[in-house]
Amino acid sequence: MKNSRRKFLKDAALLGATPMLARAEAPAASEGAGIEYHRNDPDKMIFSVCLGCNTGCPTKLKIEEGTIVKIDGSPYTPWTRVPHVAYATPLAEAARLEGAICPKGQAGMMTVYDPYRLRKVLKRDGPRGSMRWKTIDFHQAVNEIVDGGRLFANLPGEESREVEGLKALRALREPKLADEMSKAVAEIWKSADKKTAVAAFREKFKDHLHLLIDPEHPDFGPKNNQFLWIHGRLKGGRSEFFKRFVQDGLGSANFHGHTTVCQGSLYFAGKAMSEQWTKDGWAGGEKFFWQADQSGAEFIIFVGSSPFEANYPPLRTPNITEGLTSGRLKIAVVDPRFSKTAAKAWKWIPARPGTEGALALGMIRWILENGRHDVRYLSNANKAAAAADGEPTWSNACWLVKEDGTFLRSQDKFVAIHEGRPVSFDPNDVATAAHGDLLFSGEVEGRRVRTSLRLLLDEATRKTVEQWAEICGIAPADIVDLAREFTSHGKKAAADAHRGVSQHTNGFYNCLAWNSLNLLIGNYDWRGGMVKASTYKTTAGAFDFANPDRLKTFGLGLLRERKFEETTLFDGVYPAKRPWFPNATDIYQELLPSAGSAYPYPVKALLLYMGTPGYSLPAGNTQLRVLADLKSLPLFVASDIVIGESSMYADYIIPDLAFYERWEFHGSHPNNIWKVQPVRQPVIAPLTETVTVFGEPMPISLEAFMLAVAERMKLPGFGGELRRPEDFYLRGVANIAVDGTPVAEASDEELALFEKARRHLPPSVFDLAKWKAAAGPHWKRVVTVLNRGGRYEDYEKAFDGALVKNRYGKQINLYCEKVAKTKDSMTGKPLGGVAAWLPISDSLGRPFGMKDGDLHLITHREIFQTKSRTAGNPWLRELQPENSLLVSVRDARRLGLRTGDRVRVVSDSNPEGVWDLPNSGKRPMIGRVQAIQGMRPGVVSFSLGHGHWAYGACDAWIDGSLVPGDPLRGAGVHANAAMATDPHLKDVCLQDLVGGSVSFYDSPVRLVKEP
Amino acid sequence: MDENRPGDPATAADTPVDRRTFLAAGAAAVAAVAGCGHVQPRDPSVRWGMIIDLRRCVGCKACTVACKAENHTPPGVAYNVVMEEETGEYPHVARRFLPRPCMQCAVPSCTQVCPTGATWSRPDGIVAVDYDKCIGCRYCIAACPYGARSFDFGDTYSPDLNPHERRPSPEYGEHRSREKGSSPIGNVRKCTFCLHRLAVGLSPSCAETCIGHAIHFGNFADPDGRCTVHGESLRELLATRGHMRLKEELGNEPSVYYLT
Repeated sequence: MKNSRRKFLKDAALLGATPMLARAEAPAASEGAGIEYHRNDPDKMIFSVCLGCNTGCPTKLKIEEGTIVKIDGSPYTPWTRVPHVAYATPLAEAARLEGAICPKGQAGMMTVYDPYRLRKVLKRDGPRGSMRWKTIDFHQAVNEIVDGGRLFANLPGEESREVEGLKALRALREPKLADEMSKAVAEIWKSADKKTAVAAFREKFKDHLHLLIDPEHPDFGPKNNQFLWIHGRLKGGRSEFFKRFVQDGLGSANFHGHTTVCQGSLYFAGKAMSEQWTKDGWAGGEKFFWQADQSGAEFIIFVGSSPFEANYPPLRTPNITEGLTSGRLKIAVVDPRFSKTAAKAWKWIPARPGTEGALALGMIRWILENGRHDVRYLSNANKAAAAADGEPTWSNACWLVKEDGTFLRSQDKFVAIHEGRPVSFDPNDVATAAHGDLLFSGEVEGRRVRTSLRLLLDEATRKTVEQWAEICGIAPADIVDLAREFTSHGKKAAADAHRGVSQHTNGFYNCLAWNSLNLLIGNYDWRGGMVKASTYKTTAGAFDFANPDRLKTFGLGLLRERKFEETTLFDGVYPAKRPWFPNATDIYQELLPSAGSAYPYPVKALLLYMGTPGYSLPAGNTQLRVLADLKSLPLFVASDIVIGESSMYADYIIPDLAFYERWEFHGSHPNNIWKVQPVRQPVIAPLTETVTVFGEPMPISLEAFMLAVAERMKLPGFGGELRRPEDFYLRGVANIAVDGTPVAEASDEELALFEKARRHLPPSVFDLAKWKAAAGPHWKRVVTVLNRGGRYEDYEKAFDGALVKNRYGKQINLYCEKVAKTKDSMTGKPLGGVAAWLPISDSLGRPFGMKDGDLHLITHREIFQTKSRTAGNPWLRELQPENSLLVSVRDARRLGLRTGDRVRVVSDSNPEGVWDLPNSGKRPMIGRVQAIQGMRPGVVSFSLGHGHWAYGACDAWIDGSLVPGDPLRGAGVHANAAMATDPHLKDVCLQDLVGGSVSFYDSPVRLVKEP
Repeated sequence: MDENRPGDPATAADTPVDRRTFLAAGAAAVAAVAGCGHVQPRDPSVRWGMIIDLRRCVGCKACTVACKAENHTPPGVAYNVVMEEETGEYPHVARRFLPRPCMQCAVPSCTQVCPTGATWSRPDGIVAVDYDKCIGCRYCIAACPYGARSFDFGDTYSPDLNPHERRPSPEYGEHRSREKGSSPIGNVRKCTFCLHRLAVGLSPSCAETCIGHAIHFGNFADPDGRCTVHGESLRELLATRGHMRLKEELGNEPSVYYLT
């Protein structure tokens, strides 16, 4: 302790102005000497990673006789301690230092030890959703799922229902043939004459047409694609393991996640803005987003985000509260609800939901008209110009755009106007700096052109600041104040937008608008500006995760993530049957409805992992209908730790390990400026049954299931070197250990501590000889990483003067040409390439809004619940036994409601105000009113995580015995089923057809008092 | 900081009375019997205290749950709760969050009413409960002006006790398991500033897990005392910021200060 303190003081001196002070050692109390307390002994703890929410705080699990007795934050990481201790700090020293984590993290063991955890495989023993189950042997379940047949012949109505097993779905098995077909499908998409191209394909592969879903549409791909994988929360390591099974093994192109229920349009705005110009056109756009560096900023606008409640709180909060009390930082919050973050803000702007983009455009207008943008930064047209200014990034603000939405080109170069004359340049040129005038609008070589920034200004000047303010329902002075403050801190200001901005039908363009504001002050990669995440690599280095025997996947995914016009389904007519998404992926809400409408093709089997579309998605009731439908999903296997709201509809539930029993590489978040890689690892003996696969004992988990299926089907890439989950994950840890400068090898003392801390783990998990064999020559470095629960860059390494060290360092597109070259598949209209504000609309582009008397439904998060998976935790429930419907005092008076009144949430698409649960009755959406001052009148909100109808809240019958539910787990209201369904599509919620986000915050509802 | 005031029950008698004897003596005897052997002079070198920065508290309640985990408290018992209030009128609204551990008063109301001397002021300023002497009469709960005490009715979070609940609590270094019919079930329970952690040189669990770095803890008796968690000078914190104590007018002299 003394050493680290001295070292920190030294580091602090090096850094100059860190406000943090050294920590004093607590003197031993005069009384109580001789007290035995071993929770901070280094051999009685394992470092792992929380999964109470996606923040994934690295934790220190204190263990007594095999039981987790206390959880604290790890002292080694920026999530949990400011400043975090040096990575080289010996374990024995770090063991006495705690880090800070949130209430969910503190309560993590109650989720792991949930009495409703599944231990054995369940098979449906009644209609889907009836909660009637029988336990079956793990291998019998594997055999049934692989072989198919009349699996439910014992159930009325299903006597003759044949279920196709995975064996039948893996129709295409030849890697070489898959490769050839894949190339031929790409040719079809490129071809102008689809009919001829399809005919040529059919001729070339005439002996193999039976392997395809539809020989008339070879671009649907092979029957393998009828296996659908959907995941909720999935991070590194497990992601590669599962892809090895679904893609490389089964050969299905349908491996999909849940991004769009979180903040998809923010991610895909990031992708569009990060596309780089290459010899093959725009490429390399990353599905990611930037966030504010709260450790260095002087001013941050949190727009539709609340970092004290839901936006990686432990990682962000200490730097924000430090900044607020020291006077370094000022924050503004844009949110209809007066959040806990707003409670500390200089300014709270309760703008009308869905008008976040309008607010940004009002600010953009004021900033550009008052010349408060960073002209020098924006004038840099290429890398060389940026480098000359010491700027790691540059934009295309001064590039010229033609009327057709494409950039003006001179041969293979782009064009700007500089000092009145056109100049052409290569964006990646490092030798010749190119600059351009920013607001040029005129003719060049007979073509009408405007700069990207001029296009943005023209969008912003469609309305006056007063008109923008009126749209937002705020005062014009609010826009001006925000804009002035935002442009008063150089590069130490940032606009940090999240769900409240992206989860609207106009989410993509809202996100472009807020990112554009950041471009106006050129704050990317600067301390206190916008920054990105950096992680140590898990998939190569010591061991390459690539699977040489893989089956290459091809064909259209179920989500239609490409240009409609390129495919064989396009016949020149709009709208498409369902929307296409050339600018987004992982469009969660469209997966089940697409299966339900067999568009573009029918699904035969679903494997759902740690996701619950029925509970999590807006209008989730529409998703449940598909889950319950045997025709849409003939086989439905779920992996879950309890019987959840969506897994209750499964044919089989494979029990999974809870997060402190298993592996994962959790990765980082954009506001974290350190290079990191947290490692989730087994901490306690697993609660699930032990089975034998590939001759190895292991607990039932999703990995065990995949290994067993692979063993039976002889899938490539399993068996041999990969017989146990640890074989895979320890190699991933080795990759982390050797990335860049390898970590130090563990000392003998740390090797001994490593083993001793795991003495309670059974050999089915921890087998020292097998672990050593898997890690090979990297073993001692692997131990260093595992002893610290991951790898974390030292505190002082993240800074480089006024810049951050881990940088984005590339072009950022103010104008997104790639997006501008795509069309809306429903209206046929071309998409815009620059930030704009669009009114809320349905899938046909028709305005969708409020009627008189409606309340505008939004949601929020309390830090003590996570959407779907914490309601079983009694410590968290005690903090808030049930949630409320928060309304403004004014609305409550108008509606004759008082705090505590029970009301039903109804809407046009759910006039009854119920969750209609197939085969499980109707559950009314009734909650208690809480009338507060901190809510914009006209808006109603509820916190997510309550109102469960499964997850232990309802009765289940297993092997004929009743397992009674605990109604406390279902307390409160979950009003997602009142959220609007799309008036045209009807089987899905409103959505952003560009960025893919679901609309969480655009639904009109009414509250009806219950008698 | 007057530790041996006349009339303080803790100093009135030194006859040890165990729980069973006391129960046999009957409720009528409560006032008369009062007292036990927990009389120790104040240690002038140690006075544990907290400084809670309300501007840094974000109302997350991690402190509440960390305490629950550390001390194995049952349903309905929380040593450190976060109180919350909304004031003002839309759109001029304020929200305040206030963590409320035991104030570890220098002049505690609880010790004065304890008939058995089970609750007493330790030399380091922490007000402790001797579970073997506590008869569960709950006078102290009524007497505490801060609502910082709760009764352990023996409730559990899961009917057949999950593995965490089966583990003994390290409170007071006594490692008691919660078993029916034995302490701490049937006793009054309260925050101890995690004295079992202080005893081995560690800080209270709530202060360690505070994500806003709002809870500062340390030795007020040390003129150079620093926060054992975040390192700030305690004296400077109080000197440079406005501060208050709860219900100052009652004269309990709490050891918990709030920076406003």
